Amino acid sequence: MSSLNDSNDIYTPNYESSSGIAGNLRPFSSPYLNFDPGYIPQTQPEFIFLDGASKQRGRFELAFGQIGGSCMLGATLGGASGFYNGLKATTLAGQTGKLRRTQLLNHVMKKGSATANTFGSVAVIYSAFGVFLSWTRGTDDDLNTVVAATATGLLYKSTAGLRRCGLGGAIGFGVSTLYALWNNRDKLADLRQFNPA
Amino acid sequence: MEEYTREPCPWRIVDDCGGAFTMGLIGGGVFQSIKGFRNAPSGYNRRLMGSLTAIKQRSPIIAGNFAVWGGMFSTIDCALIHIRKKEDPWNSIISGAATGGILAARNGLPAMAGSAFIGGVLLALIEGVGILFTRLSAEQFQPQLPPMEDPSQLGEQQPPGGYQFQ
Repeated sequence: MSSLNDSNDIYTPNYESSSGIAGNLRPFSSPYLNFDPGYIPQTQPEFIFLDGASKQRGRFELAFGQIGGSCMLGATLGGASGFYNGLKATTLAGQTGKLRRTQLLNHVMKKGSATANTFGSVAVIYSAFGVFLSWTRGTDDDLNTVVAATATGLLYKSTAGLRRCGLGGAIGFGVSTLYALWNNRDKLADLRQFNPA
Repeated sequence: MEEYTREPCPWRIVDDCGGAFTMGLIGGGVFQSIKGFRNAPSGYNRRLMGSLTAIKQRSPIIAGNFAVWGGMFSTIDCALIHIRKKEDPWNSIISGAATGGILAARNGLPAMAGSAFIGGVLLALIEGVGILFTRLSAEQFQPQLPPMEDPSQLGEQQPPGGYQFQ
């Protein structure tokens, strides 16, 4: 994305533009419009930012969307898995007809809601850590993501014994590190291109 | 919290689902912690453990119920916006009643009617309070007229030069 003032700033009208309005002074289209509309740049997007506002959406703003998304994702995955398990279980038990349908519904609802609750709870804890970290540190970067994910894993499994707690933290750390690496892949590619000679 | 505004429509469903889940998780956590503390065997340590267990077991379920409510509500809200081509408090009230009715569909028709009524009244109350707050806070944004001079005392003042109409 080109910033506003790298090649052509907003004060120099680009005469070569194909819009045809800029440059040669056309008769204005409306008697109430007392300026040449060609002075308004039309080729580049215009962003409106409040003074002092950050140019990116904050973590709090994204939090509810993330929580809801992971909740719905959990419901979908859990529902699919419950449907599969229910098909297997009812086939094994030899249930048919109405009974099988009800059993399938039960499987889907039970597994789906359980998975949705798990995913949603993890997302809430992660968002809480993330918002807290970005609020205390004043910046929003990948370190926040990694620390918040590790803390989430530790906290979520904190009552299941020391070993599983560490395992949860390790999973959180690994997933968030992978995400951070993927997020910064072009920077990493730049780093590899560096030639000291 | 200043940065938070509502999303445009299809994403609003996800957003409201997440908000309702968070609300349910935090509210359910507080509620279940008190309940688990009271229902546990005596001894301070055991009461804390009971509280923790109750939070772990029950509050995600409450949060899930809240999330289903929020998602269903928002879905119907968006559908109503699309159908009626306008956004007003009636959308919320209708979708609250419909959500209450649909989610009680397995419990028979009387339960559906009761839940729909409760949902509608609840959303009407919320919308009413919202409108009331908007009215109250709009008071201070009303444009104030500049103080006018008394036209009867304008005689000795010079008229501002420049523009004279004949």
